[in-house]
Amino acid sequence: MEKYLYIALFAPLVGSLFVALFASRPKMLFTGILASAFIGISMIASFVLLFHVYNHEPLHVEMMDWISAGNIDIPFGFIVDEVSVIMMVTVTLVSTVVHVYSIGYMDHDKSFNRFFTYLSAFVFSMLILVMSDNFVGLFIGWEGVGLCSWMLIGFWYHKHSASWAANEAFIMNRIADLGMLMGLFLIYWNVGSLQYSDVFEAVKTLNPALVGTIGVLLFIGAMGKSAQFPLHTWLADAMEGPTPVSALIHAATMVTAGVYLVIRCGEIYTIIPQVGFGIACLGAFVAVFAASMALVNNDLKRIIAYSTLSQLGYMFVAGGLGAYWIALFHLMTHAFFKSLLFLGAGNVMHAMHDELNIKKMGGLYGSMKATAILMSVASVALAGIYPFAGFFSKDKILEVAFNEGAYFLWFALFIGAGLTAFYSFRLVMLVFFGEKKYGHELHPHEAQPFVIYALMPLGLLAAISGFFEHSFREFTTRLLSDYGVHLEHHIEVILIASTLGIAISGIAFAIYMYGKRGGFSACWEKSFGYKVLSNQYYIPKLYEMVIIKPFGVASEFMWKKIDVKIVDFTVDLIARVLYASGEKSRKMQSGNLSDMLRWMIVGIVILLALAIFYRPMV
Amino acid sequence: MIGLEHYLVLTGILFSIGIVGVIRRTNLLMLFFSTEILLNAVNIGFAAVSKYYGDLNGQIFSFFIIAIAASEVAVGLGLLVLWYKKEGTIDLTSLQMMKG
Amino acid sequence: MDHMLSLIIFFPFVAGLLGFLVNKESIRSYGVVIAGIEFLLSIGLWIAFDTANAGYQFVEFSALIPSFGMSYYLGVDGISLFLVVLSTFTVLVSLIALNIDNDVKNLIIAVLFLEMTMVAVFLCLDVILFYAFWELSLVPMLYIIGAWGSANRVYAAIKFFLYTFAGSVLMLVGILYLGYLYFQATGVWSFSLPDWYLVQLPFNVQLWLFGAFFLAFAIKVPMFPFHTWLPYAHGQAPTIGSVILAAVLLKMGSYGFVRFSLPLFPDATVYFVYPIAIIAVIMVIYAAMVAYAQEDMKQVIAYSSISHMGIVVLGTFALNAEGITGSIFLMLSHGIVSGALFMLVGVIYDRRHTKLMSEFGGLATVMPNFATVYGIMLMASVGLPLTIGFVGEFLSLAGFYRVDWLVTMLAGSGIILGAVYMLSLYKKSFFGVVTKEENRTLKDLNAKELFALVPMVALVIALGVYPKPVLDTIDISVKKMIVLMEAKAIHVETKAFLINANSIGEVQ
Repeated sequence: MEKYLYIALFAPLVGSLFVALFASRPKMLFTGILASAFIGISMIASFVLLFHVYNHEPLHVEMMDWISAGNIDIPFGFIVDEVSVIMMVTVTLVSTVVHVYSIGYMDHDKSFNRFFTYLSAFVFSMLILVMSDNFVGLFIGWEGVGLCSWMLIGFWYHKHSASWAANEAFIMNRIADLGMLMGLFLIYWNVGSLQYSDVFEAVKTLNPALVGTIGVLLFIGAMGKSAQFPLHTWLADAMEGPTPVSALIHAATMVTAGVYLVIRCGEIYTIIPQVGFGIACLGAFVAVFAASMALVNNDLKRIIAYSTLSQLGYMFVAGGLGAYWIALFHLMTHAFFKSLLFLGAGNVMHAMHDELNIKKMGGLYGSMKATAILMSVASVALAGIYPFAGFFSKDKILEVAFNEGAYFLWFALFIGAGLTAFYSFRLVMLVFFGEKKYGHELHPHEAQPFVIYALMPLGLLAAISGFFEHSFREFTTRLLSDYGVHLEHHIEVILIASTLGIAISGIAFAIYMYGKRGGFSACWEKSFGYKVLSNQYYIPKLYEMVIIKPFGVASEFMWKKIDVKIVDFTVDLIARVLYASGEKSRKMQSGNLSDMLRWMIVGIVILLALAIFYRPMV
Repeated sequence: MIGLEHYLVLTGILFSIGIVGVIRRTNLLMLFFSTEILLNAVNIGFAAVSKYYGDLNGQIFSFFIIAIAASEVAVGLGLLVLWYKKEGTIDLTSLQMMKG
Repeated sequence: MDHMLSLIIFFPFVAGLLGFLVNKESIRSYGVVIAGIEFLLSIGLWIAFDTANAGYQFVEFSALIPSFGMSYYLGVDGISLFLVVLSTFTVLVSLIALNIDNDVKNLIIAVLFLEMTMVAVFLCLDVILFYAFWELSLVPMLYIIGAWGSANRVYAAIKFFLYTFAGSVLMLVGILYLGYLYFQATGVWSFSLPDWYLVQLPFNVQLWLFGAFFLAFAIKVPMFPFHTWLPYAHGQAPTIGSVILAAVLLKMGSYGFVRFSLPLFPDATVYFVYPIAIIAVIMVIYAAMVAYAQEDMKQVIAYSSISHMGIVVLGTFALNAEGITGSIFLMLSHGIVSGALFMLVGVIYDRRHTKLMSEFGGLATVMPNFATVYGIMLMASVGLPLTIGFVGEFLSLAGFYRVDWLVTMLAGSGIILGAVYMLSLYKKSFFGVVTKEENRTLKDLNAKELFALVPMVALVIALGVYPKPVLDTIDISVKKMIVLMEAKAIHVETKAFLINANSIGEVQ
């Protein structure tokens, strides 16, 4: 079985390295096919492992030693247990689809080969992240996906906005990584090991305040990767990258790494429910906060990005409240329908020649039936309508919030559900239905057939994966602590009904507004609320004003004023004083014998005076 | 009675005259005279103190000084004559080749 | 094998002397061959080195001036072994990539002399000998900067020389005084370091001596506020000078801390942990910010060196095996990475004769291989895991966390600020569209440059993935040194500090 573990892990790396050999060459079709094949192999191996873990027991291997110094001893160790195998399957499945899709999507790009190098490298990093058996291994993957995300967001590096967004993403993640690193140090010095098994064993006996600090620090790391407030701005800007990247990295896999961390460290967060509750509150806040920004945005991809943010908030609510398996379940279903949504958006973009403003689309249903249907399925799943996947996972999270007695969390999520339904169907309506608003020079066409076929599995999973709920629960709770909702039956029914109700009314409202009435009136767009929302609450501007600009000014000041004018000036001053004193005293050496004699006499007088008055030895 | 103090006062006066001469004079020849006065001032001091203590070392030392002064004047005057032949002056201000 | 170390030290010197006889056409290949042999010798030293032995190996001893205890005393242990290998490696690659034509013979001979002094500094166990080579290393560097540098080279060279020289003079006083103290304590003169390790010094004497040594090392490292010679020296030096300066000469300072300050003055070291940690934090943050403000690519890397050396110093003064081993590893990794980065700047400078970032833009399109190598080195510089930069940084910071979490967090902000200035450098020069016409025709890396850079890339990744053999060797010597420090300490608090720093326990 270890064989399959290594295949699953290293197949993407092999693919990436092989394709890298051709990275600077012009497009070669086989690189895409080969990279996809390697990811496919990895996916098959992951499924084999899934069945193995399901039927037998988890796998754990130690490949080799990595860092050892003092008491630190960190190996490259990999574990395939119930949680990581679910992640592996999700990651490799979505990655395979995205790879195949990219063959079509990146067809005309001159850096075709380079794209697949990066994409496969990303999958490898992500697998390291989820499979590692210790925190530092996780950190490797953590930074690795950050690197790949940097390369992929900035893939079209000739665009200023793309390279800016790439740097922003990397730096914001670094801020969070510092928090995580501090958490690792704290764990190490208290436990003496960074292996999950040792740490989870040891935290039970540690001082809870200390565990709380650890939990907070690790969560800071998770906030960066999962783009939680206030580190969320990079995710929307990351949409500068190619759309398959957005689908894979910024919807399905990398951004969920933070949720994975919380789930993985469930044993830590169980000890510190207060911190968990804080996480849940932040999650609920982000769920509504991000959804509100999605309401008014006109950028096709940014809407979906805000929706991702909002859904990550849902996952953190579940994770924070201790319902780890539900968080993981939503993570999985979300990966399916959200990547489908993004990939569909990619098709639309291609058809519209990279136009992103949904106000300039409309009526695309006629020319892009398959994409329209797939995206509608994904949107329904996202909105959480029975029997689609989102219904099962999202509804469970609401129930958890209610069950915990955190009614305001429940209410926030409830509002969020309505908003989600509204903005997803606003998008669908504006893009596919209504009247055409694009110019006549555009002739939108459906993507190549194999691209559509590649999307089919995701469409299927978005539709039906909710029905795996019970076996999923049975499987994952072998490792994770179980969480059951203990509500009276009629309350549960009311909850489900009300959630469904608000989702359906959200959809209906969107269809009514954009289908029948043709959108909101223009005065809404001039209102204060609209401006705040469409400027993302002015947070990016605030960061620009408060952090980026002052940092630049301060750096300039440090260099031009402190370094040059003070520190270096002082050094030069010493030299200059010495030099000037030489310059001054050289006049003494006039060459005139009388002057010299005079100086000699001065010297004699001084020496005599010293000899008479200064007697240190006496 | 002429005592040691009188000799020492004489020494001091002669020494001061010599020093003033050394500082103020710009004629090289006068400079030599001033140095001679300085040396002889010291000689008087040596001889007087030697007599006072009954120790001959001081007087012997003043002989040394007389000998050295003589040879110094011999060499110095020779150089002075050469300099005069070369430059046509024995003014000190003409001797400034070591200016820094 | 008896005189392995002497061979390693004096081979480049003799070869340099013979170099005067070699004619001008073949001097370049002569230099590379000599540096190659020297590198193989140092690799041979590593192979023959017994990694299970924490003490000095290949020891050579013969008295020079026995009445004053001065001797020719060489030895290598885990701490110095890799610095020797790093020196020879750096000289080899920088000679391969050498791209200077005027007066190349003298340059190569100067570099070979420099190699001798660098290696000798790491291998000498006699303090007077150490001091002699320490000062001697300034001379070839002065010559290299002053003769082959750019416009303002004389100013930079003299500043470099006088600044570092002034610092070391105080160290000489300290050395002589310590020798005298040893004489007073034992009745015998000795300047051999292992002998000195055995004397316990009174606390206030330790403080003064620590100060005297500190200034010399701090200027060399360079620590804030003694760092201002570095940007000038780097800015004006030719590529080969910058590479060697950044890769090896700065390490002499941090090596000095580990070799002298810590084991000789344990109480003073513990006493000064916080002031030095604060200076290190200032170095990290301040230099990173100044680096961000630079317009010249080479200055960015020069200031980034200061920032990284801050973490080295911090790791050293963590006073536990994690921190010190990490800081020594970070010295190696910084040597390789910054050396490579300076070499890369040299590549672009050779082509365009400017280093201003505003002159570039879109280089990734024109020079893809160059951009790739640069990218890898950049990632190693910001400490990405699985590159060489991560291991040392992680261990150093982890080590200091045991001492103080706040300082560690502030110093850790270096990983953020490092990303800020490095990525903005990369964005300004490599991303975007090509705006300058003359950049359109730039040639990508040629064979010679690739030949020098590829081994560095390979090392960066290989040691990032599998640093264990190096770490283990360093670790064993470091642990021995910590035991020595603890045994020598005269204050109970010092002993408690050291024991505490080296054990797992409850920490906030």
